[in-house]
Amino acid sequence: MSEYLLQMTGIDKSFGGVHALDHVNFAIKPGKVMCLAGENGCGKSTLVKIISGVYTRDSGEVMFEGRAIEKITPADATRMGIQVIYQDLSIFPNLTVMENLAINSEITANRKIVNRKRWEQTAREALSKIGYEIDLHKKMGELSVADKQLVAICRALLFNAKLIIMDEPTTALTKKEVDALFKTVRQLRDSGIAIMFISHKTEEIFEISDDVCIMRNGKNVFLGETATLTKKDFTYYMTGREIEDDYFVPTNISKEPVLKVEHLTWRDKFHDVSFELRKGEILGITGLLGSGRTELALSLFGLGKVHSGTITLNGRPVKISSPIEAQRLRIGYVPEDRLTEGLCLRQPIADNIMLSSLKQLTRALGMIRHQELFEKSNEWVKTFSIATDDAHKHASTLSGGNQQKIVLSKWLNNDLDVLILNGPTVGVDIGAKQDIHALVHDLANKGLAVIIISDDLAEVVVNCNRVIVMKDGGIVGEMTGDRITEENILDIIR
Amino acid sequence: MKSKTFEKHSYTFMLLGLMAVVLLFFTALKGGMMWKGDVWLGIAMQFPEYGVVTLGLMFCFICGKMDMSFMALGNFATIMAVMYMGAHADSPAGGVILVGIAIALGIAVVGGLINGLLVAYLDIPPVMATISMQLVWTGLSVALTNGNTVKGLPSLYTDIGHTYLLGFLPVPLLIFLVIFAVAWWLLQHTVYGEKLYMVGTNIKAAEFSAINTRRMVIGTYILCDVICCIGCLIMISTMASAKADYGTSYVMRCILILVLAGVLPDGGMGRIDNVLIAIVTIQIIATGVNMFPNLNTYYASLIWGALLLVVLVMSTRMSSGGFLRLRAKKAAKA
Repeated sequence: MSEYLLQMTGIDKSFGGVHALDHVNFAIKPGKVMCLAGENGCGKSTLVKIISGVYTRDSGEVMFEGRAIEKITPADATRMGIQVIYQDLSIFPNLTVMENLAINSEITANRKIVNRKRWEQTAREALSKIGYEIDLHKKMGELSVADKQLVAICRALLFNAKLIIMDEPTTALTKKEVDALFKTVRQLRDSGIAIMFISHKTEEIFEISDDVCIMRNGKNVFLGETATLTKKDFTYYMTGREIEDDYFVPTNISKEPVLKVEHLTWRDKFHDVSFELRKGEILGITGLLGSGRTELALSLFGLGKVHSGTITLNGRPVKISSPIEAQRLRIGYVPEDRLTEGLCLRQPIADNIMLSSLKQLTRALGMIRHQELFEKSNEWVKTFSIATDDAHKHASTLSGGNQQKIVLSKWLNNDLDVLILNGPTVGVDIGAKQDIHALVHDLANKGLAVIIISDDLAEVVVNCNRVIVMKDGGIVGEMTGDRITEENILDIIR
Repeated sequence: MKSKTFEKHSYTFMLLGLMAVVLLFFTALKGGMMWKGDVWLGIAMQFPEYGVVTLGLMFCFICGKMDMSFMALGNFATIMAVMYMGAHADSPAGGVILVGIAIALGIAVVGGLINGLLVAYLDIPPVMATISMQLVWTGLSVALTNGNTVKGLPSLYTDIGHTYLLGFLPVPLLIFLVIFAVAWWLLQHTVYGEKLYMVGTNIKAAEFSAINTRRMVIGTYILCDVICCIGCLIMISTMASAKADYGTSYVMRCILILVLAGVLPDGGMGRIDNVLIAIVTIQIIATGVNMFPNLNTYYASLIWGALLLVVLVMSTRMSSGGFLRLRAKKAAKA
């Protein structure tokens, strides 16, 4: 029997004409944490789906516990001990923790009658496997993402999982929750379970993994021990290019503040928030989920409430009652959730870019200037090198980074004084992230006032000349220049 | 290049193909009877009234909303109009007719406004809000008329429904064509049309892009109900009366046509040219079914229901490629 739990060699998979996986090799040992890393669209999820039996490979060999595996279905994979915890967690939000934990084994055992005692027993057994405690009778939908994840892990363990695959589990977690998750992962690893951890966050991968498999464009470019890699190598393998951190150096800060916020309060969301913002500055606002950072941004964009306090813009007190008013006051907002708040995915790229500037395209009788719509949006496609050959194609055809460029150009096509970016690079791969950062630096130095709201501390440190830290709805710290480091921010947040 | 054009219009070609199949089917069963001039004049006479209604509902669908109240509202509006016209039978017909039409359209505006306010400001799910309004309007109509037909239309008005302009062009068809042209213009050439597709695709993203989405929803409901009311005004002309439950089967028929045309109620989808093809196809089916006098009329309902199911199943399986919006030619070149 080989030392590997799962060994895959020369895996090929094509969809139509697209070669999604090109002779990929992959192997994982029991009792190890293996990270599968790569930018969006590199073939990570295809590989996972082949392992879990959702897709069938075109060619290549798969060995599981030393036996060659031919075709498998998802049910086979579960029986063999392969469990996938997807990003959406596949839970029933309207059922309780207990019911979620017990339902699968009840169904597998083909039981028809509900026995609450047995259900509770199954659920307790599941939780005890990782020594995790939670109210069994809470509705799943009321739990935080982190708790849902732990419940999902417990459920996986009920199936005597030998290999647990976690698909970007840390995306929606705070730092503290990530630490807790990693503790559990290590615990599982020490009990002999193999963990496959999918991520594109460099820090996390170095913290948690024993081995790493890096993929790029459907090929694996690195497979080996994490310890043998430097972060620089890692970035190079991920992107295929050398990337240096490019710190923001403000060169053009105005004397007078363009935006002044005083004692702003939205009851139960944030309170007594005051700050100033000058032209040419990039101000970072950071804090954990629920610290009030997003709500503050919404209030500045007319989608939140203001119970007390004042907002002064260019020296004049203003009331921002709607996004339409915000736009008139030359404030733009790039929302947190690109897919639901930023884009009309089933509409052309061009129309998305011009969505907030339709006034410019109006002529007599409310008619639209189609020609101009395409010319203008094509200019933005060129300026931002948005990866498309035709702006008529739907926004959904683009990757996360390119989609974010659409949302950015939508606002930059307006004449702005203040641009608020909420999580500007969430789900964006390293290459596009650099592009967006460079662009924002450039805009600031041309006189735009920028606010970046982010919980990606590395992003805040590199891109902001001033940082405000929020906690429980209030400002708990402010730092400038060299004082901005991840350690200093973490000291305040925790 | 040619294949690209084909791909772009593939769904339109499919609809035309369906129309041809339907024609062949009835020709095979009934032979030359399908191709008599009368039959086609009948088709041209019959489809405009619900064709117009369908065009109204189309705006609602593209906006991602639903309206179940339009026929009940249209019936109430036309009952009020007929009552007014009947009460002023001794005044000059022209003026009375104009005032009557104004009353009906005014009520439609109010009805659309209420729908819009319920959906946009009170956040009531569109189906629930408009079903409630359907009951309200039907209730009002029945209370006013005891469920009886209301007569008393000036003969000048009832003639509209039966007049052929230049001997071959039915006036209802002409009205349909005018409304079709206006709807086409609104969708393809105005900022309103542009916003409508975007709001229908993702209303939240539109709101975050500084578009007044509430005004869009309310305006669209008003537009929808006014156009539907015009359809009802044609209907009372051919019926020479108004009634609380005229055309209630049109609600499902309009939905069937729109889904068949690829204007799905999810919003942001669909082309008006496909809607025209679907309207005509459905009328051909209706006319064809009527050629079998032995067929119990209750079977017709069965046929429509089955057809709606088939179309729904088909449309959920089709790739979204067929349901793209139509682009102005000029823009496509850019």
